Amino acid sequence: MNPILTFLVVLIGFYGLSTSDNIIKSVFSVTIIESGVILLFLNLGNFQGGSIPILSEDLVSIVDPLPQALMITTIVIGSTVTALSLMLCIKIFHHYGSVKWKEVLARKDVKS
Amino acid sequence: MNNSIRFLRQFVLIALLGTIFVAFTMSMNELQTLYNDFGQQYFFEEGLSDTGSRNLVTAILLDYRLFDSLFEAGILLIAVSGVIWISKHDIEEKNARFMIDKYKTPDLFITFSRLVYPLMLTFGFYVIVNGHLSPGGGFQGGTIVATAILILYYIDPNKETNIGLIVTVEKIIYLLIIVVASISLVTRGTFFTNFFDPSHDADTMAIYLVILNVLIGFKVALGLWTIFTAFLKEGR
Repeated sequence: MNPILTFLVVLIGFYGLSTSDNIIKSVFSVTIIESGVILLFLNLGNFQGGSIPILSEDLVSIVDPLPQALMITTIVIGSTVTALSLMLCIKIFHHYGSVKWKEVLARKDVKS
Repeated sequence: MNNSIRFLRQFVLIALLGTIFVAFTMSMNELQTLYNDFGQQYFFEEGLSDTGSRNLVTAILLDYRLFDSLFEAGILLIAVSGVIWISKHDIEEKNARFMIDKYKTPDLFITFSRLVYPLMLTFGFYVIVNGHLSPGGGFQGGTIVATAILILYYIDPNKETNIGLIVTVEKIIYLLIIVVASISLVTRGTFFTNFFDPSHDADTMAIYLVILNVLIGFKVALGLWTIFTAFLKEGR
């Protein structure tokens, strides 16, 4: 996969982050940016003809295992960040009755 | 008027993103020259004799970069604590009633959940224990086990879960992970690596990997189980 395409995924996430008026959609946009970064890193160590980094007898060359190991960290941290932000979204909905950015920020008791 | 301003804003945004995209495309050649394959060659030649793991991703996670993995598991613990702390008052209010409505869940789904649940649990344990031989490991297998436990709520919606006990067990397992990772200080003189010397054969060194994979798998499964339960209890 061309690394330019992975960066396009990141830009799609940025677009969603800056235009969405729903808080949950903003959380999804952060997830999209993160998956673009994961694709970029997996693409770095990858090359044509390399097999998976699990050693066996008749193996000529493997792809780089280091980016894959780093991306496990990213996936775990991303899932925890998503869980925390969605829990905050639930709290915002219970407290203000809406998950729209404008309706929440337009209230008097919210300091923007 | 309002509509045109909005259109103009979106146009400016797309232009800015396009500028970033062009800059990235121009700097792409440098990114390719930054990368070299010395690390890949090293892991291919020395990985098995250094760590005893055929799966090189597990070798990096549990031996070369174990310090990172410890804090990765710690971040999961911190996030679980945060989710529980944010949703604390609601749990006390609603006396732990779950959102799942038994009468809205199809019977076919419940029946198939009963069939699939032991298979998912077995597959999760398989992925955890074979983390050093096949794709998988503690984090991935723990997620599968946690998903199997989530299906359990569909089978029995009246199931009660004691979150405090789960979190306590999770903290104890996290301490155990740190203890197992620190045993190498006694046997080899360095922190956070395999407690067998590289002079042992690969099967002996795999004992350490299996122990650590099982501990991390249980920790991740318990952590995600807590997050699921907190979300299910949030429903009103």
